[in-house]
Amino acid sequence: MTSGVAIRDVTKTFGATHALRGVDVDLAPGEVHALLGGNGSGKSTLIKILAGVQSPDAGQLGVGGAWRSWTGWDSEHARAAGMRFVHQDPGLFPSLSVAENLAADGALGRRALSPIRWRALRRRSARLLRSFELDVDPRAPLAALRPAQREMVAIARALHDVEESGDAALLVLDEPTALLPRHEVELLLSAIRRVAAQGHMVLYVTHRLDEVFAVTDRVTVLCNGSVAATRPTAELDEDTLVELITRRRVDREPRTTRSRRDGQPALAVRGLCSARLHDVEFDLHAGEVLGLAGMGGSGRTELLRVLCGDRRRRAGTIELHGEPVAFRSPLEAIRRGVVYLPEDRRDSTFPDMSVDDNLAAVALDAYWLRGRLRARRQRRDSRELAERFSIVAASVGQPLRSLSGGNQQKVVLARWLRTQARVLLLDEPSHGVDVGARADIHGLVREATDAGAAAIVVASDLQELARVSDRVLVLRDGSIVDELRPPRLDPTTLDDSLYRTKERVSA
Amino acid sequence: MTISTTLEPEPQQVASADALDAARETGARTRAHTAFGLLERYGLLLFVAAVALFFSLLPATSSLFPSGRNVDALLGNQTVVTIAALAAILPLIPNHFDVSVGSVLGLSCIGTAAAMSTYHTGLVVAIVVGVSIGALVGAINGALVAYAKLNSVVVAINTGISGKLTNFGSLKWLGIPRPAWLLLAVCLVAWYLLDQTPLGRRLYMIGENPHASHLIGVRVRRLTFLSFVLAGALAGVAGVVLCARTGGANPNDGPDYLFPALVAAFLGTTAIRPGRFNVWGTLLAVFFVAVTVNGLSLSGAQPWVQPVFNGVALIIAVALAALLARRRRTASP
Repeated sequence: MTSGVAIRDVTKTFGATHALRGVDVDLAPGEVHALLGGNGSGKSTLIKILAGVQSPDAGQLGVGGAWRSWTGWDSEHARAAGMRFVHQDPGLFPSLSVAENLAADGALGRRALSPIRWRALRRRSARLLRSFELDVDPRAPLAALRPAQREMVAIARALHDVEESGDAALLVLDEPTALLPRHEVELLLSAIRRVAAQGHMVLYVTHRLDEVFAVTDRVTVLCNGSVAATRPTAELDEDTLVELITRRRVDREPRTTRSRRDGQPALAVRGLCSARLHDVEFDLHAGEVLGLAGMGGSGRTELLRVLCGDRRRRAGTIELHGEPVAFRSPLEAIRRGVVYLPEDRRDSTFPDMSVDDNLAAVALDAYWLRGRLRARRQRRDSRELAERFSIVAASVGQPLRSLSGGNQQKVVLARWLRTQARVLLLDEPSHGVDVGARADIHGLVREATDAGAAAIVVASDLQELARVSDRVLVLRDGSIVDELRPPRLDPTTLDDSLYRTKERVSA
Repeated sequence: MTISTTLEPEPQQVASADALDAARETGARTRAHTAFGLLERYGLLLFVAAVALFFSLLPATSSLFPSGRNVDALLGNQTVVTIAALAAILPLIPNHFDVSVGSVLGLSCIGTAAAMSTYHTGLVVAIVVGVSIGALVGAINGALVAYAKLNSVVVAINTGISGKLTNFGSLKWLGIPRPAWLLLAVCLVAWYLLDQTPLGRRLYMIGENPHASHLIGVRVRRLTFLSFVLAGALAGVAGVVLCARTGGANPNDGPDYLFPALVAAFLGTTAIRPGRFNVWGTLLAVFFVAVTVNGLSLSGAQPWVQPVFNGVALIIAVALAALLARRRRTASP
């Protein structure tokens, strides 16, 4: 074996479940290796084993040309072997400052009582933040940052650590871009290329296939705990990759726009201003999927939250089917059929409640009959919904937390679609879910709009946005700066538009 | 463009077989967990029964503990603390700590006594006064917490009026002390509210995720406020019962009930509906503490045993709840 990292024949079982069966992954120095697979395919288990969080039942590990034992392999060993991890739930400290978080990996000083050199720490942190174009005060508490910025802090910390180490280190990134807008993803990808060029290795877990093609050298696809394929990225195209991951053949059809552009718009927005929006105007028609593109902080989420009554507007009018509306709370919007799905699943789910109760959360009044909540009827409906929306769960009685991310997302989407909502405001409806579930979610949105609903979809993944939308509005600093319709509607043009408008504004 | 997926016959079979496998595995796991789940749910009930059996057989207590008088006292004496515990769980469900339960209880007790002794009102009016005082204080607390976003509030009132109230505590109905009937009635009402109405379900939703609740149209502030009003009214009921039991009012009696009520509320989360504040779990917890303390004092233990046991029970309750929660989390993938 060479001087890289070799994971050989790793097997792990949880009770009767085979999480991993004889998995091999090799990384050569300077290699960026994608680890792909649907939810539950074993990616996370493999990474946890590598990080020393879980121990495998069998297998070997080679680091730097020597075989190491998995027995007793823990996070300290992983660190000592030059491995750095950015997990899906980054290990950060919300109440500490950004600078303290950046230093938490050891830069504070080894001895418990040695004084911390705050000025030097702050200077170093500021430099590090600048290199990732993070416009935050190192003294600010981490909790004050947006989720995407927090993610970037975690990534910056790990990347910095890897770059500092002399030997060939291994950086493991577990879905680092799930929350990141396009520009930040670009920064991350170029940082990945940089550390790879220095001879370090990167194991990259993602659901975004464009990133796989942009940055990785080889791809390993896991399926039900086994390696389905390991191939050089250059030999693959997107369809082949999707087939390997989902084991379903991809059949692309051109989207036929079925929106009824004539007649009264479902939603007419004029001169809308809020704390972060300036003079936003657009029409949304029944049957239409309107995409919203923009960098993080451009006002995409703000626009949806103003429309659903969660945030106040300062000026402007909103007409729903020709009738002026002024929602003061999400409840008022919901009553008129305007529903909002937040970007962060923590804002939409009740993880300890059952799938059943999560589905019924917006339909309680319908089950309140003759003085009782009709639990049996609710459960029967939930089973039907789970089937209709292809939610994979052993039973609708199990807690939502036990479902994969993609299925949780289908639950919160199904919760709204069951209400026959007329305007769907969807913020990153498919972020952090696997390719199969993503296709399912797009299909559900399409089905709802074909049935007469209208939808606004925010997505950072431009390929996804171009695919699901009939039309895309580009937001920048709270204003609409561009509108793309077919035939101009494709990822490249979208990308151009996002960056061009950025230059135009900053020029 | 859309991706529509065409299923080739063979992979589909594989895929559905896998899905079935996965479902079967999870199903097996659920079944394997059922025994543990049952134990988790009814463990406290078994424990209460075991303790009762122990004291019925223990030579030192075997004559006194199972006697009719002792059982009557056990049943009749838990009404105040149980209703106070139910008053405590109402705001605890939407995740707010109401430490005024004890004081409100005392205040309502005084109000009822004063209405009867000083103002010579009828029994019904006196009861209404007691309950209304509770609801009013609850409304003030609720307004402060839900709308002014303050943390929990302590209301301390010191007035010394004593009075007389017909002692309904000594009478029986169908051989069971009247306070026990009242206890059952209040439990049923609380269970109905929390388990059978959208209000209850929404309170649990707020407790688990207030922001998500707001975004799906739950009136978080209004319901939180309401939970405090209902808690105050329940504490008021407890106060009236206290007044009836003691035949007078001592403002220092009320706060004595706060700690046992909270112990019961938290210990209650380990039974019947594990992981949640729930009515029947709370009731069981009250009787667990009562039976144990009663048995211990009959066997000659010192009076300080009761507060110490309450403290120990609270520690056990919190530790057990944390342990069960962790187990539930690790059990699912």
